[in-house]
Amino acid sequence: MNEQTDILIVEDDQDDLDLALHALEREHLANKIFVARDGEEALDFLFCRGAFADRSFEHPPKVVLLDLKLPKVNGIEILKQVKSDPRTKSVPVVILTSSKEERDLMESYNLGANSYIQKPVDFKQFRETVKSLGMYWLLVNQVPASNGISRAKGVGRS
Amino acid sequence: MTQAGTAIAPALGTPVDTGPALRFLLLEDSDDDSELVTHQLKSGGFHFTSETVKTAEQFRQTVRTLRPDIILADYNLGEWRGMDALDILREESMDIPLILVTGALGEVTAVDCIKQGAADYVLKGGLTRLPLAIRRTLEDKRLREQRKHAEEELAAKVKELARSNRDLEQFAFVASHDLQEPLRMVAAYTQLLAERYRGKLDENADKYIGYAVEGALRMQALIRDMLAFCRVGRTASDRNHADCNAAVRAALLNLRATVEETGTVVTYHQLPFVAADPTQLIQLFQNLIGNAVKFHGKEKPLIRVSAERRDDKWQFAVADNGIGIAPEHKDVIFVIFQRLHARNEYEGNGLGLAICQKIVEQNGGKIWVESEAGHGSTFLFTLPARCERERA
Amino acid sequence: MTAEKKPEILLVDDNPADLYLFREALGAGEVESLLTTVPDGEEAIAFLYRSGKFQSATRPDLVVLDLNLPRKDGRGVLANAKSDPNLRLIPIVVFSTSCSRTDIVDCYALGANCYVSKPGSLGDFRKAVQSIEHFWLRVARPSA
Repeated sequence: MNEQTDILIVEDDQDDLDLALHALEREHLANKIFVARDGEEALDFLFCRGAFADRSFEHPPKVVLLDLKLPKVNGIEILKQVKSDPRTKSVPVVILTSSKEERDLMESYNLGANSYIQKPVDFKQFRETVKSLGMYWLLVNQVPASNGISRAKGVGRS
Repeated sequence: MTQAGTAIAPALGTPVDTGPALRFLLLEDSDDDSELVTHQLKSGGFHFTSETVKTAEQFRQTVRTLRPDIILADYNLGEWRGMDALDILREESMDIPLILVTGALGEVTAVDCIKQGAADYVLKGGLTRLPLAIRRTLEDKRLREQRKHAEEELAAKVKELARSNRDLEQFAFVASHDLQEPLRMVAAYTQLLAERYRGKLDENADKYIGYAVEGALRMQALIRDMLAFCRVGRTASDRNHADCNAAVRAALLNLRATVEETGTVVTYHQLPFVAADPTQLIQLFQNLIGNAVKFHGKEKPLIRVSAERRDDKWQFAVADNGIGIAPEHKDVIFVIFQRLHARNEYEGNGLGLAICQKIVEQNGGKIWVESEAGHGSTFLFTLPARCERERA
Repeated sequence: MTAEKKPEILLVDDNPADLYLFREALGAGEVESLLTTVPDGEEAIAFLYRSGKFQSATRPDLVVLDLNLPRKDGRGVLANAKSDPNLRLIPIVVFSTSCSRTDIVDCYALGANCYVSKPGSLGDFRKAVQSIEHFWLRVARPSA
């Protein structure tokens, strides 16, 4: 699969997932969103193995939204593996979690998370957060795999 | 036996060979026959020197030291044949024409000898033909050498031209790239000037600043487009496996603002995979669809992207219902920097289609347009189909 | 971060024209933040370690870092800051004119939180600055 995945969302809570997907799709921010329901699936996806053996390290997602509380393999473990492997350490990982633990925050940053965001309790704010997140990491941030073609503005080019 | 010969004192008006003496090498084991031949050379008007050898060894030695212009060989030389001299010449990598001067050939036909590499043959009973045969053979050689020389010169020039082209592309790329930064400063600060001081200085100032801003913005757009043009073909990437559906989707995402503004509808359905660079493919569709949107007519823009298989290629069509293109302009629009409209009519730098053409041609295809003024345009281009099997 | 304290940004850039544009864009933004600017990598490090003339400096909530700097360049600052456990938690946004793949890859490898190319147009530049401010000072949870 060579098409650029824009976002990998690693989330097992259905409500949160629905809100996030809705927020992203409404703003037309991403073409390709992949959802992993547990840590193992996320790791297989990122490390191009198992069911995702035809993926390539040359086309990582532009950003990974990672919850910390996950079945099978938890978020901290995923973060550790992604950020310690040279093939994947440049992929931006944004922790989006309900955890208020200071410890989780510190550990995430220490392991190299690009950003740490607490899920707002209010669902409207949650949507806004995901929208801001999407806009920032998909439109403003640059990743090495960027195809370098800019979005056209109101008037097209000749 | 060496002989020097000059033309027999000619009657007034008889043409005589001038120039350096020709060197003949005779392969002949009969002294009488050798004399016959040299006599013929003299009456043929040649200015020459000649040597005669009998054995293969002598031949091998003499051909190296004498470097004759032409070899006149008897067929039968006792222990070896005149035709074997051709093998020796090949071994020594010497390209010297050999004319067989012989009695009846017997079973072996003259045609066979010529097929094996002899330049011509002359029967000893008809030696008057020899001078003509010699002259024709020498002329053939001269022409052959001329052509070889011309081909070598051409190859050298092509190599030089390719190098020069690469240098120019590199220069254009570096210049465009380095110009961006100072230009960014000029554009930003003229715009700031416009914002801060509009209406606060005199009206001339507003006008001056306005023109400066416009100029700076145009320069920025131009340099961005030039960089895009230069970038085509600079980055190598996997060229066998590009999904056109994904490319169109990515292009539409990039064009989202203008598509929404104009209410454009773009349809495409099950486009194929092609053997082309995926990033360039996005740029190609983005430019073509972007143009179709920009040059829309009074109706809402409708654009259709389709593909048809033609042998080992796919032929794509991007069809719109816009303002169309008059027939006399159909070739010119692909020329770099060429525009059809004034700056205040439609925006643009004249690079978009040039970039499309460069991309298509780099990937082994062609691009052209079918259109009528006022009746929409269809841009057509071909790209190689994806190879079914991966090559090692 | 308490409600009263204004967030602080350290901007490291040697181009006074860009420093001014950045400050101007921030001023028009929604967050009221304090901006400190330094012109090279060495001063940036001194500021972060509160040494030399920066003894009374406060810890910034965000560092915005250009790459091409005199004395110590952006990569050097990244290497220093991200290898020090005390400073590692401060988000560093690389904000540079370069969009070369090598630069982007190197910065991520050195631990930059993200990479933003300085846009060519004034409007986009302002939007980028405001996006950076909004995301890192409002949306993302800043470290202690």
